[in-house]
Amino acid sequence: MINSAQPSPRGNGLSRIWTLASATLTQLLRMKVLAFIGVFCVIAVAFGFAFPVQNAEQQLNLLKGGSFGALQLFSMVIAIVSTAILLPRDLEDRTLYTILSKPVPRHQYLLGKYLGVMTLIGIGLALMDGIFSGILYLRENMVFASEMASLKANRMDGPEEVAALEALVQTHGLTWSVHAGVLAVFLKAAVIAAMALMISCFSSSTLYTIVISFFLVIIGHGQELAREFFFQPHLSVTGQKIAALVLSILVPDLGMFDITDNIIAGQSVPIEALGWILGTAAMYVSAYLVVAHLLFVEKEL
Amino acid sequence: MPTDAVNVSNLTKIFRGHIGRAPFVAVKDLSLTVKEGEVYGLIGPNGSGKSTTMKVVLGLLAPTQGATSIFGCDSREVESRQAVGFLPENPYFYKHLTGEETLQFYGRLCGLKGAALKDRTREMLVLTDLENAANRRVAGYSKGMLQRLGLAQALIHDPRLVVLDEPTAGVDPAGSRKIRDLILSFKERGLTVLVTSHLLEQMQEVCDRVGIMAHGVMVREGRLDELIAVENQTELVLENATPAMLEKLRALVAQEGASISHIGQPRTTLERLFLEATEEKPAADKKSA
Ligand SMILES: Nc1ncnc2c1ncn2[C@@H]1O[C@H](COP(=O)(O)OP(=O)(O)O)[C@@H](O)[C@H]1O
Ligand SMILES: [Mg+2]
Repeated sequence: MINSAQPSPRGNGLSRIWTLASATLTQLLRMKVLAFIGVFCVIAVAFGFAFPVQNAEQQLNLLKGGSFGALQLFSMVIAIVSTAILLPRDLEDRTLYTILSKPVPRHQYLLGKYLGVMTLIGIGLALMDGIFSGILYLRENMVFASEMASLKANRMDGPEEVAALEALVQTHGLTWSVHAGVLAVFLKAAVIAAMALMISCFSSSTLYTIVISFFLVIIGHGQELAREFFFQPHLSVTGQKIAALVLSILVPDLGMFDITDNIIAGQSVPIEALGWILGTAAMYVSAYLVVAHLLFVEKEL
Repeated sequence: MPTDAVNVSNLTKIFRGHIGRAPFVAVKDLSLTVKEGEVYGLIGPNGSGKSTTMKVVLGLLAPTQGATSIFGCDSREVESRQAVGFLPENPYFYKHLTGEETLQFYGRLCGLKGAALKDRTREMLVLTDLENAANRRVAGYSKGMLQRLGLAQALIHDPRLVVLDEPTAGVDPAGSRKIRDLILSFKERGLTVLVTSHLLEQMQEVCDRVGIMAHGVMVREGRLDELIAVENQTELVLENATPAMLEKLRALVAQEGASISHIGQPRTTLERLFLEATEEKPAADKKSA
């Protein structure tokens, strides 16, 4: 086994990891990955303005639903595809040889790659969060104004009715929970990218990594269903618990990051729920990275 | 006793076969040492295990058996890479970076920063004659330029040992000679060099010692001048010799009990001829660089 855990005497690990991460980030940016943000704007505007919907609540929820869908898609596709191309490309170009023949421990190389992908997704989501919030805020005010106008026209603009409308628009409009939802999307992408990185450490091709990752992502989203339809009817209570645990160890339980449905419905996210998601993501990410490192250290280059 | 720059002892490398394929022995019980300050050439046909040996020395591959070390430090330790620069076979770099950015990237990986990094990058660009291309993307570099950028990258952290895998493969003769001159200059500066090539003539010009590998085994090893000297022969090159004088020489040789095994005109090498012919327009050389 190649021992790479030792700190190198010169230079510190963090700056080396950041050097690798920023090279990865620029490499991905040159592939015009962020062009998706333009597509996102179109999707958000379309869902915000193009569909005629009767009431205020539906109008805002449609905008949120469409935008969150696009965010999810962007982050998952980038997490899998960009992670899957990184190692094979470095190996093919033999840049991996020149990098690893410098005093660079292999775990720092992996962390650098991972951090590069996550920075890209972070920047992408932050930009889209900004655009999304702007459009939502705009739409919220427009909806409020038009509803007020119709209340006035019907002479129903008493203080109670106005307060009710205000409350409705506020819960369904731009709230902190919307940002929390974007954070959950980011954390889910972090788990998926770590998983894809681990797969690419033993996979023989980019396509193989992508296919396996998408497959696992689909299973990961279906754990709730598996628990309900396969474990519950056929297993004892302990059996159910064990089966659910084994499944969530083998495949990440991605369903638990899906708080966006509640946010779209206008519910707020309790801080404990967010903490729970954060902890789970951290656990999955570190586990996948550790396994990725063990595989990568043994890899024949 | 000073430690050897490179020590390979009883190295065996077996590649595990993929499913359905037998394991492959790429290097078998190979031992060699490279002393500090010398240029060691590893030669052999394609597939004889030269690159595999180098990758094990650099810790890129794990040995199946045996061990390798650099200046006494086991190749499996990350620290062993502090003192070595590596130019892999057919190197390629991140194509979105310029030559200068590439060197800075590798410099940072070695812990260089700030003014030291900048100075060192400049120095390497000058050394490898890439100053004019420093701000161009690597994607547009010629094979010879990539190879020289590879050399610059290998030297960025001022290593005591450079390992070069086929440094002149695929490079035109002028570019190839530039690389050869660089290797000779390394030697002057006291750098240790471990180099592979299948261009024997070039190896002959730069190497102090050579090892010849075939099928993963070392078949011959020793000082170059000893290996290629034909001991019972002497070479004599004459200028403006008349036929009469040659006759006298023949008679003398016969009288002394020696024999002449060859008389003829010395030939220039094709390489030298090529270089002389293309040298005539130095501008063309610059462009091809
Ligand atoms: N990663 C690998 N997996 C399987 N076989 C390999 C691998 N790398 C090299 N080989 C085989 O090992 C032999 C030696 O290769 P190499 O060291 O590259 O030779 P050389 O550099 O002398 O041309 C070749 O037959 C090659 O096919
Ligand atoms: Mg080779």
